[in-house]
Amino acid sequence: MAEIGTDRQTRRDLLPSAVDPTVFDESFLRQLERLQLITRTAVHGGMKGIRRSVKRGQSVEFTDYRDYALGDDLRALDWNVYARLERLFIKLFIEEEDVTVHILLDASASMATGSPDKLLFGKRAAAALAYVGLASYDRVSLAVLQGRVARRFPAVRGTGRIFQVLADLSGIGASTGATDLAAAARHYAAQLTQRGPLILISDLFDPNAERVVSELAGTRCEVALLHTLSPDELDPPLEGDLRVVDSETGDGVDITADLYTLDAYRQRLAEWQARLEQVSTKRRVSYVPTPTTLPLTELVFAELRRRRVVAA
Amino acid sequence: MGLAAPLALIGLLSVPLIVAFYMLRLRRSRHLVSSTFLWQQLVRDVEANAPWQRLRRSLLLLLQLLLAVLLAVLVARPFAERPAGLARDLVLVIDASASMAASDVFPDRLTAAKRAAIDAMSQLPSDGRVSVVAAAETARVVANEATDRGRISRAIESIEQSTAAGDLTDALRLAGKLAERARGAEVLVVTDDAGSAIPQVAVSSPVRVLAIGRERDNQAIAALAVRADSSGLKRTVFASVANYSSAEVVRRLQILADGTAVTARDLVLRPLSRADVVIDELPPGTQLVEARITPPTESAGAVAGAQDFLSLDDAAWAVVPPDRPRYVLLVGPGNVFIQNAFSLLPNVELYGTTAENYAATSADPLFDSYDLVVFDGSLPPELPGKPILAFAPPRSSPLGEVTGSLDSFGLGQLPADEPLLRGVDLSRLHIARMQQIELPEWARAVIPGTDGPVIYSGLRDGLATTVFAFDLRQSDLGLQYAWPILVSNLAGELLGLGPTALDPLAPSAPIELPIPVGSVGVRVTLPDGSVQEVVPGATGAGTVTFVDTRQLGVYRAELIPDPAAEPDPAVPPLPSPSISPVPSPATVTPAPSPSGLPEPGTADEPLLFAVDLFSPDESNIRPGDGARITALGSGEELPASEAGLARDEFWPLLVVLALGFLLAEWMVYERDGARRLVNALRGALPARTGRRNS
Repeated sequence: MAEIGTDRQTRRDLLPSAVDPTVFDESFLRQLERLQLITRTAVHGGMKGIRRSVKRGQSVEFTDYRDYALGDDLRALDWNVYARLERLFIKLFIEEEDVTVHILLDASASMATGSPDKLLFGKRAAAALAYVGLASYDRVSLAVLQGRVARRFPAVRGTGRIFQVLADLSGIGASTGATDLAAAARHYAAQLTQRGPLILISDLFDPNAERVVSELAGTRCEVALLHTLSPDELDPPLEGDLRVVDSETGDGVDITADLYTLDAYRQRLAEWQARLEQVSTKRRVSYVPTPTTLPLTELVFAELRRRRVVAA
Repeated sequence: MGLAAPLALIGLLSVPLIVAFYMLRLRRSRHLVSSTFLWQQLVRDVEANAPWQRLRRSLLLLLQLLLAVLLAVLVARPFAERPAGLARDLVLVIDASASMAASDVFPDRLTAAKRAAIDAMSQLPSDGRVSVVAAAETARVVANEATDRGRISRAIESIEQSTAAGDLTDALRLAGKLAERARGAEVLVVTDDAGSAIPQVAVSSPVRVLAIGRERDNQAIAALAVRADSSGLKRTVFASVANYSSAEVVRRLQILADGTAVTARDLVLRPLSRADVVIDELPPGTQLVEARITPPTESAGAVAGAQDFLSLDDAAWAVVPPDRPRYVLLVGPGNVFIQNAFSLLPNVELYGTTAENYAATSADPLFDSYDLVVFDGSLPPELPGKPILAFAPPRSSPLGEVTGSLDSFGLGQLPADEPLLRGVDLSRLHIARMQQIELPEWARAVIPGTDGPVIYSGLRDGLATTVFAFDLRQSDLGLQYAWPILVSNLAGELLGLGPTALDPLAPSAPIELPIPVGSVGVRVTLPDGSVQEVVPGATGAGTVTFVDTRQLGVYRAELIPDPAAEPDPAVPPLPSPSISPVPSPATVTPAPSPSGLPEPGTADEPLLFAVDLFSPDESNIRPGDGARITALGSGEELPASEAGLARDEFWPLLVVLALGFLLAEWMVYERDGARRLVNALRGALPARTGRRNS
């Protein structure tokens, strides 16, 4: 891995080749720094941060009293209460800690298709969201779903580690075999120890896509689902008698791509997306349809803000 | 009921082929997609990899099978038979004369005649043979014993409207000859039977007539001429307008000089009468006069009356005689008869020289200005390239081979239609002596003699030439009244001054155009603006015949200079014996030179000639019932045993059905094509609704 420098020029030189440097220019990064991934509930953190923790701690925000116990810090005693009740109470304050932002990127073979490339789009979105998390003093945990497992990268913290995230992302390639997305999500959920925002970037081309939502929602994280589809999948440019071949399994389906069939496909796709959104809403998961033609800035600063995934 | 081409039912073999195609599995091209997850739920017919699959019920298959059967039956040409109404051998005569351009039936009589003729073909026996004759100014066979209905229809449709007067005599004679070739043949004439002329022919076969036309209302310009008065200074337009309808009408006669309106007069035309109009105020220098008749304007308060269904005769053109002075050179010792006669001609200036001084005169550049050279008893070694009038040529020359002199001879029979002798009385002509001359090939004998021509004339290398074999002093011709009249006629032929030179041509009449030395042909501009170049068939010919005078209007002929000839900046005008050249308005009368000769004239002047329909028979469009034409035939009824069977084929119905099945098949195949079209239209509608609401 390249050594991370501090000079701006040096940092730009160190950008992974898979990421277009012009997408992550200085202005874009400053804008990302103003965003924050939303967490609706307080969770346990690992280190000092800026998010409310379930712990009581040293912040200035009062939360409760408890009886004094031997060894407590006398500075926390409420002397006014002692004067009135002649009992010793310790003032408790809210603790502010970091959270772990989980970013899951589907790297199945199906993500390598489409124009623009869905995997490349997912990497860019993941990089942007990772930077948002790092800029919020949160811990960012990146994982790749391939085969039946989730491959995790070491969690990082601090904006200076963005280049490590980018390097990790650039090293991700699409798998060649079939991917069981539900099994991989279950695998990640089983390893998960710290709750926080969880973002899955995937095309969800899996017969058990609804189970993927359920598995991730079961982690009690704040789950956001970026459903990434290419224009070829939204409106297939097909015509004539064809055998469409699955990029993962190699299975073929014979079709006659006439207007009737294409209309039926589009209708089926819309029904599938609606069902996914319905399941997601039911499981308190934010469902964000994300065509790869959507500009990254519009995704982060408009679409994700509108869906309450990030906030300024 | 039968089939004209039963072998075409072999096409029914396509039915099992289509079924086989449906049972065969399709070889499809591979297309990689991210996932077939969604496609799998759409497609049901993907289970096996066997080359054959079970035949499923399919509307598309049903339509294709029906279409295949229908096409096979269509090609087999099913038909039903019925007794034919026409003979097996039919000669169809279609009148295409000018009166058939009348628009009393839509769109005109000829088109209606063609339609009626094609409709009549349905009465023809299935093995019938048809010969088609187009009857216009001449009869023309456009189809000979054709059996193919399409070919017959095309031949009928190819007949073009003629602007000329037609005569059914030739056409019926030709049709009779064609009908005689087969037993039981019949002649069918499609005509308006207009005009008073009855074809002078008897046809040995039955003649039937399909009469076309309903109305008789027509007005026509029956005559148009421009004449110079006796002084030669004024030009007078004479026009005659005829009303062929049975009601009184008012028509406006417009006279245009070189395209500019000169005068217009409203004429009240009584039924079946003519009105003559003389107009004197023709502007000087006018080359061309056009006359038109139109309905009067409403502002004039006149009632137009009956309609005018024939437009061909509503316009006429006339070429104005030239008023440029013509210069004549008399070579000889002087002849009072010649001098007096030429001095009487308007616009003619006579100059003289002796035979001895001729060489010097001809070498003068001003010599080119002369329009005519008169040799009186002498001939130069080399003849000038100009029109020549020669008296008693002393020796052989291109004017004719002189074989001797005659003191005793007789005059031959004078030709009746000789234009030079119009109004000339030669009954008291006496000639004491004349030269015996062989009649050249280029000449015609004006006055033939027992031992050789006395006077002959013609076009010699495109130059008008007249030769008197005798000396005027050796005859009493110069003392007779006939002499100045003869000279006047000669001026018409040699100088183009005569009234005959300006008579319009009838449509399709040929015209001889002279080609002088230095030109290789004539470029003729037709009234519609198209240009034709006419070249003589033989090298060195002095004239060329132009025959494409079918259009009514003014034709403009210009000489095509010979590129191999020496450049001559002053190309002489066309000195036609029959048509007068019209001088350019820029032509300046040359002032007499100190030597008494005029200066050279200006350059090229095109030759104009007009083609007009002055035919009362064609302008009288009153349709007849055809009885007088039917009476020309044998009058025999076609025996029932001779009548064949006509076929009614069902292919139009089958074609409509096939197209319907094809459309249904397309709609089934592109099921949502129509729906998309409707959606696109609906998408356009709200925009308009929105605008209306706003």
